[in-house]
Amino acid sequence: MRRQLLAIMLLVCAIGTQLYAQAQTVTGVVTDKADGSPLPGVSVMVPGSKTGTQTGPTGRYSIVIPAGGPKTLKFTYIGYITQTVAVTRATLDVTLENDAKTLSEVVVTGYGTQRKKDMVGSVATVTAEDLVNKPVQSFDQALGGKAAGVQITIPNGVLNNPPVIRVRGINSISLSSYPLIVVDGIATYTGDVSGSSAAGNALASINPNDIESVDILKDAAAAAIYGSRAANGVLIITTKKGKKGKPVVSYDAWVGQTKIMNMPELLDAFQYTELKNTALKNAGTYNAATMSFNLVNDANGNPINTNWYDVVYRKGTAHSNSVSLAGGSETTNYYFSGGYTGQKGIIRKNDYNRANALLKIDHKEGNIFNMGGKIQFSNEQNLAATSSGSLSGEAFGTGGLGRLAIVTAPNVAVRNNDGTYNVQTASTIGRMGNKGSDVGFYNPGTVLDLDRSNNELNHLQSNVYLQANILPWLNAKTTYGVDYLLSDNDSFNNPINGGSAASLGSASESYTKNKRWVWTNTIQADRTFMAKHSVSLLLGNEQQRSVGRGFGAGRTTLSDLAFNDFTAGYTAAPSNSASFGENYLVSFFSRLSYDFDKKYFVTGNIRQDEYSAFGAGNKKGIFYGVGLGWEVAKEAFWEKAGLDKVFSSFKFRGSYGTVGNINGLGNLASYSFYSTGLYAGASTLVPSQTGNDQIAWEESRKFDAGFNLGIMNDKFTAEFAYYKNDLKGLIYNVPQIPSVGLPSTPQANIASMYNKGVELTLNAQAVATKNFSWTPSFNISYNKNVVTALSEGLTQFITTTSSLESASISRVGGPLGMIYVVKTEGVDPATGRRIFIKSDGRKVMYQHVVPAGQFRWSYENGTDATGISLAADGSAYKNTQPKFYGGFDNSFRYKKFDLNATITYQLGFYIYYGTYAGLRDQRFWNNSTDMLQAWTAPNQVTNIPKVYFGDNVSNGSSFPISDNVFKGDFVKLRSIDFGYSLPGSFLTKLKMASARVYVSGNNLLFVTKYPGSDPEVSSNGNSTSSSGVDRNSVGNGRTFTAGISAKF
Amino acid sequence: MKKKFIYTILMAAGLVAGCQKDLLTPESKNAVSTLDLAQFSTTARIDGQVLGLYAGLRSGDFYGGRYLIYNELRADNFLAQSSNSVTAYQTYNYTVGNGAQEVTDFWSSAYNTINRCNLFIEGMAAKGTSVIGDAISKNYVGEAKFIRAVCYYSLLQLYARPYYDGNGAKPGLPLRLTGNSVAGNYDLARSTVAQVYTQVLKDLDEAETGVPLTYATALASTTRAHRNSVIAFKTRVYLTMQRWTDVVTEANKIVSTAAPFTATTGVANALQADYTKVFASPYTTTESIFSMPFVAGTEQGGGQSALSSYYYGVKLYSLNPTGIIGDAGWKATDKRRTYITYTGAIPYLSKFPTGSPTYADYVPVIRYAEVLLNLAEALARSTTSVNTRALALLNAVRGRSDASTVFTAADFATPGDFYNAILKEKNIEFLGEGLRSPELLRLGLTIPGKGTVSAVPSTSIQYIFPISATELIYNKLMTDNL
Repeated sequence: MRRQLLAIMLLVCAIGTQLYAQAQTVTGVVTDKADGSPLPGVSVMVPGSKTGTQTGPTGRYSIVIPAGGPKTLKFTYIGYITQTVAVTRATLDVTLENDAKTLSEVVVTGYGTQRKKDMVGSVATVTAEDLVNKPVQSFDQALGGKAAGVQITIPNGVLNNPPVIRVRGINSISLSSYPLIVVDGIATYTGDVSGSSAAGNALASINPNDIESVDILKDAAAAAIYGSRAANGVLIITTKKGKKGKPVVSYDAWVGQTKIMNMPELLDAFQYTELKNTALKNAGTYNAATMSFNLVNDANGNPINTNWYDVVYRKGTAHSNSVSLAGGSETTNYYFSGGYTGQKGIIRKNDYNRANALLKIDHKEGNIFNMGGKIQFSNEQNLAATSSGSLSGEAFGTGGLGRLAIVTAPNVAVRNNDGTYNVQTASTIGRMGNKGSDVGFYNPGTVLDLDRSNNELNHLQSNVYLQANILPWLNAKTTYGVDYLLSDNDSFNNPINGGSAASLGSASESYTKNKRWVWTNTIQADRTFMAKHSVSLLLGNEQQRSVGRGFGAGRTTLSDLAFNDFTAGYTAAPSNSASFGENYLVSFFSRLSYDFDKKYFVTGNIRQDEYSAFGAGNKKGIFYGVGLGWEVAKEAFWEKAGLDKVFSSFKFRGSYGTVGNINGLGNLASYSFYSTGLYAGASTLVPSQTGNDQIAWEESRKFDAGFNLGIMNDKFTAEFAYYKNDLKGLIYNVPQIPSVGLPSTPQANIASMYNKGVELTLNAQAVATKNFSWTPSFNISYNKNVVTALSEGLTQFITTTSSLESASISRVGGPLGMIYVVKTEGVDPATGRRIFIKSDGRKVMYQHVVPAGQFRWSYENGTDATGISLAADGSAYKNTQPKFYGGFDNSFRYKKFDLNATITYQLGFYIYYGTYAGLRDQRFWNNSTDMLQAWTAPNQVTNIPKVYFGDNVSNGSSFPISDNVFKGDFVKLRSIDFGYSLPGSFLTKLKMASARVYVSGNNLLFVTKYPGSDPEVSSNGNSTSSSGVDRNSVGNGRTFTAGISAKF
Repeated sequence: MKKKFIYTILMAAGLVAGCQKDLLTPESKNAVSTLDLAQFSTTARIDGQVLGLYAGLRSGDFYGGRYLIYNELRADNFLAQSSNSVTAYQTYNYTVGNGAQEVTDFWSSAYNTINRCNLFIEGMAAKGTSVIGDAISKNYVGEAKFIRAVCYYSLLQLYARPYYDGNGAKPGLPLRLTGNSVAGNYDLARSTVAQVYTQVLKDLDEAETGVPLTYATALASTTRAHRNSVIAFKTRVYLTMQRWTDVVTEANKIVSTAAPFTATTGVANALQADYTKVFASPYTTTESIFSMPFVAGTEQGGGQSALSSYYYGVKLYSLNPTGIIGDAGWKATDKRRTYITYTGAIPYLSKFPTGSPTYADYVPVIRYAEVLLNLAEALARSTTSVNTRALALLNAVRGRSDASTVFTAADFATPGDFYNAILKEKNIEFLGEGLRSPELLRLGLTIPGKGTVSAVPSTSIQYIFPISATELIYNKLMTDNL
């Protein structure tokens, strides 16, 4: 008491003139530490009292501190670090720091969160700022280069196609290598869920602007809590929630434009006509009247010279608007958002529209209960006229637009001079002046104008939870969530030209409803004993039930050609189809974490899963992961050695465990089935599935070791990890000898493979001054994938592209999905023939048209050779998985200007540029201008053989050749953003808290030797064993956007 | 109070949660599991399986169209109007490799059907016979053997050297006679051509005594095997093997000695007076000994496998003006020429006119006219003469479509001329029905060139298909055609 008195006395003295203990008025301005802009709406409180105010529009406040109270003020503002400042003067200006950094210090693990510093698992976190306001359809498209060990490839330029995501390499052969995606605790649907030619990524239902963070669990210590589904890594998506404080309204909008880029240069009508006639003459079949290519004039008397790129592609435009309201009181917080984006892609009629809303509420009732939940709904439209030819399985589709744009002859037009569509037959474009040969497949103009292949997704993702905080250190929580994904498809094929014109038009509709519920119950205990022993225990039970049902119908032959709807009249009998699928996963899991003095860490996860798809004796599996950590910087010797002056932290960590994979396994994979059909009007029963009652989950044994360090109070941080994923019992569709005659390829847990690699992430706060800052972030990953065993006696398997081209081979001892080609060695200068290398190493030359009695294949000495075939002469030529990949991110700020540039790269891999085979094919197909270099005279050194009409062998159409394989290495300036934050004076007028305007560009530059449109490509989508194939795919576009972000 | 509330909630959660065991063992809602041979557990399922064997034969890659298409397009009667590899251009152009769709998919389709037959034959012995009774079981097993024989015979026509080449000593096919239902090691080398033919004949002999003499409906008598179908097919097999006297023996079982030539036992197979009736709905005349049924709406042909899509509907291949339709001896008034339809100046075969989307024309496997011409050729060749009955058989086929032409012995200077006349008659009669390539190959004749495609002599590697690439990779004992 006496001391207090003394203290007060001293204080009073110190304050000097204001001798009396009376109320004091303090004024000041609160600004953003980052850019100095004023912060309105900041709560200014006298701690422990009810006295408080808020900053005004210019960030200015004035508060009266009551007599006798503490001489401090507490500044609280959503999204910023709270500061408590001692009152030393009557004018107190305060700068608040954005708490993005503090957010990154928390990691969302399965069924909970952990301080990053306490983590022993390998987890990468991508925060909101990397995801908002990007010209993408789904957040996963924006993850490229943002996290070590996570390889993202956007495989084509079709809107809303799911990117290829690989966490630490390809971790499955026959099942999916796509990670488990958990949104706010509920494992959600993934992949392309559209049933139409327009892609429909299930994850696009989430507005990227609603995402708070994406945490990627990579090793067993982090991921094992997801047991049988964690082998491919786990992405945990956490959506935003409200924080205590004044309601904040945010508005984000952008507009953008996308253009095609790096398209192969094609022959024009004049060049085409000349080249094809030369090819006919070389083949000896040219005949002006019956077999020739000829120019004709259009209605204006000019020769028709169609650039089919102009017909198929367009300048895409897009816009996005999101608004959110967030706030909260002491007990309740809320986040509500709505958004609409309308995007038009580079392919004509390929559109994407999404309307979405999210309402999230968390409430604390009394001292014991917490409750809350969310309702998230989105309606998406994935629209297309017809197949792009770019999604998995579409590469060789007759109507694939990527292919039509390059195949169709330039000397014909979409329409005849009388305005009607130019058609030859129901499925081919009209020949116009050309004689004796088709000049294309479908008329691209007709199908683009008249066809339709649309998808609509309605996606509801909601949950409710109730948590009881039984004791301060013990809580129990139950969460029930639903994920309903409804997919509607509507397509129409016109009666004039295209897929159904022969039958005078067709329409189809189909509907699939996927319904999932997940019920999770957990008990969590967190206690610290004797100050230094911290223990955290989690016990849980979870059930996940998914049921899918679908129905579709098709109608053919329009009664009246004026209509194009499913409901119109059709004369042919309708067709229909139906589908049903169900599965159930029930799990019990636990996590125990312990640390001693934040110095030594141990975490163990264990999970038992039972899954319905496995055979009767194999339903149950137990998975676990154990991690250890050691914070060396806390050791006494560290300080003694003076290392603490440099390293603010230095933590070693390591983990080991076993997790599984079931993603992509058939619901009834363990059974063999006979299914019904029809023969002459009566029922048939035929073998339909070769099952395996021993089927079980795939096993991934994950080892991880590394360290995290921070230098100079974490101004510079580094994370390093070495990992090895040993994959055992991989399910393999054991290829059976075709003559064995099994109805389907049986699956067995028979293959094995490993991925090993290293990851390095470097972050720095290189420069941070009031006016200028520079924050570079760099990551690089190296991965090596090796198949170690397939089924017994099998050393390799081949994967086809679009069921037609066998360009991918996987061999034991090598990586998945190598390019499978016959080696070629240029063109013989003497004869202009392509030189192929036989399996015995001998050179064989090919000439498509030979005089009667001669063979097309001959050795160099002119003697007849047996033909080249892929089976006999093909070889595993080059790898398609990048050895190195990663990103380099730089953020600059100068006063109110900011600049961010993201570079991504993938190095050390090859691509089979199958499109190039088509671009040089000597059937009627239009060609690359490279064909102008074709061999014409002896001693001419060129890589293009002499042209013979009909030749589909010399340039790789008949079977893949090494001449069409190129290095795919690329460094891409994926995005660059340049922004300006409006000054406070201006904001005040607009009654805004903050506002930033920006322009950005995507895919602006890239460095690559790859000759195709874009080395970031996959004609086979997420396929594990046929990556690195570019066959008639539409490349990614180049996008510019401009936008505004404002807070009120 | 509060505590009670909490505990109640926790207990409720614990009880309801946990696990719903029944959801862990789902059962199919639409397919029959093979546990306990359930596919043989009822007569309806067994009936369904027999028809399923035929359905295998009818698949698009096989008799649903493509098998016939390949045998036509690799010969000389058609010209490509498209260069799409998916619609057999490589077969047409002789550029099929081991991995070509034609090569791999027909191979798989035929063997898939063979395995169905093997599984069925074994399953009937193990369980089916006890369910359905001996008599019907015998019928059904006979049908299975007939279908297996058709499969092996068809495979031989494309993947093996013709029988004449070394009397069947050349590499034939892996001969699989046991049913496979699970993954396993099934490496198997090729039997010789002769060994496979021996099996084909053994199956057909056993089928002949197994299958019913006749069926209750014309539809069944056209779409399922009866005794005459087995015998008819045997004439084709023996003819392919150049075993002329065996052809005569078999054919005589179902061809009367004198005109009008008809089958005297079993189904009353006979030539139809009007050729066009055979290719028109309901497609079930007694001339169609065995055909593959298609039904608009429910059992439609495939868009890229149906005959119509190649010849007429999508017009992928036109008739070659210098092929058989250019033959002067085939008169303009011949009824069979009504199936040559011009689009502009380009002739197309309109024998199978029902196009997209139904493609509902039946696909003929064997017709009575073929038996007559097989018999005619065998009679002539076995006697090395312009055999009188053979001449009558030839006239029977020609005469019903072209009454104005009557061949006499005087028309043929040598027996060879007579053989050629019979071959030409077959070429005309079965245009588009998939007989052309086997007809050339069985005699070692050069496949004539067409358009820009050169002729293929019997010594050429292109004379037959290469072996399926996937078979070569996975069957360690398999060898390619070289």
